[in-house]
Amino acid sequence: MFGYYLRLGLRQLRRSPVLTSLVILTLAVGVAASMSTLTVLYMMSADPIPQKSDRLLTVTLDNAPADSDSKPEDIPRGLSWLDVKALREGGKGLRRSGMYGTGGIVEPQKSGVKNFVAQGIAVDRDFFAMMDVDFKFGSAWRKEDDRDEARVVVISRAMSQKLYGDESPLGRTIKFNNGEFRIVGVLGQWHMLPRFYLMENGRRSGGSTMSDEEEIFLPLSTAIATEQDINGNVNCQSDAAPGYKGLVVSECTFMHYWVELASASDRSDYREYLHAYVGQQKARGRLPRPDQTGLYNVRDWLSFIGVVDDDTRLQTWLAFGFLSVCLVNTIGLLLAKFTSRSGEIGVRRALGASRAQIFAQYLLEAAVLGLVGSVLGVVLAYGMLHIMATQSPDLAALAKMDSLMLLTTVLLSVAAAVLAGLLPTWRATQVVPALQLKSQ
Amino acid sequence: MEIRPILSALSRNKTGAFLIAAQIALTFAITINAAYVIRDRLATAARPSGVDDEDRVVAVRFAMTSSQNIDALQQRDVATLRGVPGVESVAITNQIPFGGGGWSGGFAVGNTRESPNVNAGMVFDNGDVLKTLGVKVIEGRYFTPDEIMVIDPDTSRDTPPVVLVTRELAKAMFPSGESVLGKTIYLGNTPDAPAVRIIGVIGLMETPWASVSAKHLYSVVFPQRLLQTENQYLLRLKPGALEQTKQAVLAALAKNDPDRVAGRDGLASIAKMRAKRYRGEHAVAGLLIAVTVFLLIVTASGIVGMASLWVNLRRKQIGVRRALGATRGDIVRYFVTENLLITGTGVVAGVIAAQLLNAALVRQMTLPQLPWPGLAFGVVALIVLGVGSVLGPAVRASRLSPALATRSV
Repeated sequence: MFGYYLRLGLRQLRRSPVLTSLVILTLAVGVAASMSTLTVLYMMSADPIPQKSDRLLTVTLDNAPADSDSKPEDIPRGLSWLDVKALREGGKGLRRSGMYGTGGIVEPQKSGVKNFVAQGIAVDRDFFAMMDVDFKFGSAWRKEDDRDEARVVVISRAMSQKLYGDESPLGRTIKFNNGEFRIVGVLGQWHMLPRFYLMENGRRSGGSTMSDEEEIFLPLSTAIATEQDINGNVNCQSDAAPGYKGLVVSECTFMHYWVELASASDRSDYREYLHAYVGQQKARGRLPRPDQTGLYNVRDWLSFIGVVDDDTRLQTWLAFGFLSVCLVNTIGLLLAKFTSRSGEIGVRRALGASRAQIFAQYLLEAAVLGLVGSVLGVVLAYGMLHIMATQSPDLAALAKMDSLMLLTTVLLSVAAAVLAGLLPTWRATQVVPALQLKSQ
Repeated sequence: MEIRPILSALSRNKTGAFLIAAQIALTFAITINAAYVIRDRLATAARPSGVDDEDRVVAVRFAMTSSQNIDALQQRDVATLRGVPGVESVAITNQIPFGGGGWSGGFAVGNTRESPNVNAGMVFDNGDVLKTLGVKVIEGRYFTPDEIMVIDPDTSRDTPPVVLVTRELAKAMFPSGESVLGKTIYLGNTPDAPAVRIIGVIGLMETPWASVSAKHLYSVVFPQRLLQTENQYLLRLKPGALEQTKQAVLAALAKNDPDRVAGRDGLASIAKMRAKRYRGEHAVAGLLIAVTVFLLIVTASGIVGMASLWVNLRRKQIGVRRALGATRGDIVRYFVTENLLITGTGVVAGVIAAQLLNAALVRQMTLPQLPWPGLAFGVVALIVLGVGSVLGPAVRASRLSPALATRSV
């Protein structure tokens, strides 16, 4: 019976073509608008590292001077080098890495390729294992390299391609910011979206954006020793001595610190450790204000910094409102479509079809309309995402539909059609056969 | 007029009328809120920056390879740029309107904890920045050449003793409206905060961040040239200067130090940076305009569809009425009045729905509240849309020949 009703439903598409195409178009436009905005929202709020997001933690400390009038919301989102250095040497946690964004000029020393500015990040060796980085060539630098401030780097696949083609660049030296660094690794497919580890401002408030990609990774200790520029927020609540040398011994915050725990349940243990650390620093005359240590896992951090901005939420809300109007409109159109077939329903009922059978047939017909609408809806949604992607590099990275969203689009369209079909279908089952037959 | 028969007809066909009214209500609620957001975003994107001609003012930033003698290089660059044909004036600064990154600091009226810090942009002026941007001193005086300090951040934390402030910042820090000339403000509200004296007030000057809040016009201008590599060269081109001028500028700078690399945007005008800064606002407005237009089309087509259906269902009744002496105008009036009743109900429900939606949006995110004049405009617009949509089917109904319509009885 299902197959027969399905065939009937498909055949009905061709009857009253204007009404049918209106239903399909209304559904498709509503579904496309809501799914394209939902896709951006979904990608933006996605967990970039689901396998361990509850075990990766970052820390904030209130290191303002004792007489500061700063409020809890003014607590810096970054850390000073003093704290990062102490925490990574403290040894607590499975893996640890301090980090800050940097950048500078790469001198390719290759004819035909001009000097260019590369975006970089200074990290500890553990960063690569912590973030599940895969390598095309080589690997992370050695443990000793962190200690020895070794002149080594890991570069991105795109940069390796640009400078060395398909060859392995391992062992070659690269000139970065006037220093010579030996290449020990080239990234593979690894890419984090959102790039949570350096973000502290959500979207569009300056600082690191969610879709940037680092091209060059160098050891944090090396970056400090060679005074690599800071690309990111520098927040000084008390005065610092001049220059880079003054900055790294000051309370100015410009770094982030991430730690990987063996299990998410170690979190309270780690909180106690931090509490002890703050107490110990207080004993040395630092961190004079009441302990307001923040400890965030990846998901907490993304919601704390507000990675999903108001505009994206607003768009999604309004798009679903739009869908609801399309739904009401579809109800009206289906009502018109089904009402015009009262005669046919009367005949079927007179010939013995039960109300349940009429109900099944007409609801299936609505579902068929939804299915056809979903095809057009997917095409329109892709078009809308394509337009959105041209708006900014962030959106270009986010406006991509994965298979889950594709499936949701189809389901949403069918569900919307079935929902809209409920009332007209119920009305169809209420047709009185005798009345219809008499009038013919 | 004939409201009672219309009502009694409607009460026999509640579903259709209810659907149309619900659709009108939802459309009203969404379009009104969308229109308000569109207006808000476009108004933000159109705020004046204080730069008198945003197309003629251009800036470029360089990354340097080596720590060379920055002081000498800056002076050589400025001299070279002044010689490029088509360049009107040249300045060195740390930040520019809409530039994205820059310096900011907390400024306080007193150097004690009781006086609150007001966050403002810190602009370093080598003596040519205001002239190059086209920003005027509206009160007090500009810096004299000997007030301009050359500061090396690697060895010095000096602050010049005199500053200019924007009018908006002056109002925020000294709300009483007295003249701020000669007043001392502090770079922070701690006892050791450096003190600076205000010698002049300037008009509008956008900050690099162009934030949405009133703070976007808070800036303090310091008479100093900072010897840092992140500086920007700010140029004002002569009217009618061509693309070649920009190429000549970049070429001249490249000649002075071939190893350095221009920033990602190259030589970009303030107008271009404005467009980049407000891309998000324009994107939201564009998307909402598209949604609104589609919504109105869908709703109008829904009304047309439903009205056509009713006309078809009532062919006989229309024929009878016409045969009994109703004029064409009577028939049209009947459908228009019916639509007015439905649309009116929908719009009243829509006003309530719009307020509820707005309250939900305001609670969820930073959005301004709906103004009543906007609502009134929306009410009129939707009623016009409703009547406009029903007019077609109604006129068609009035053209039904009475003989034809009653024949099948």
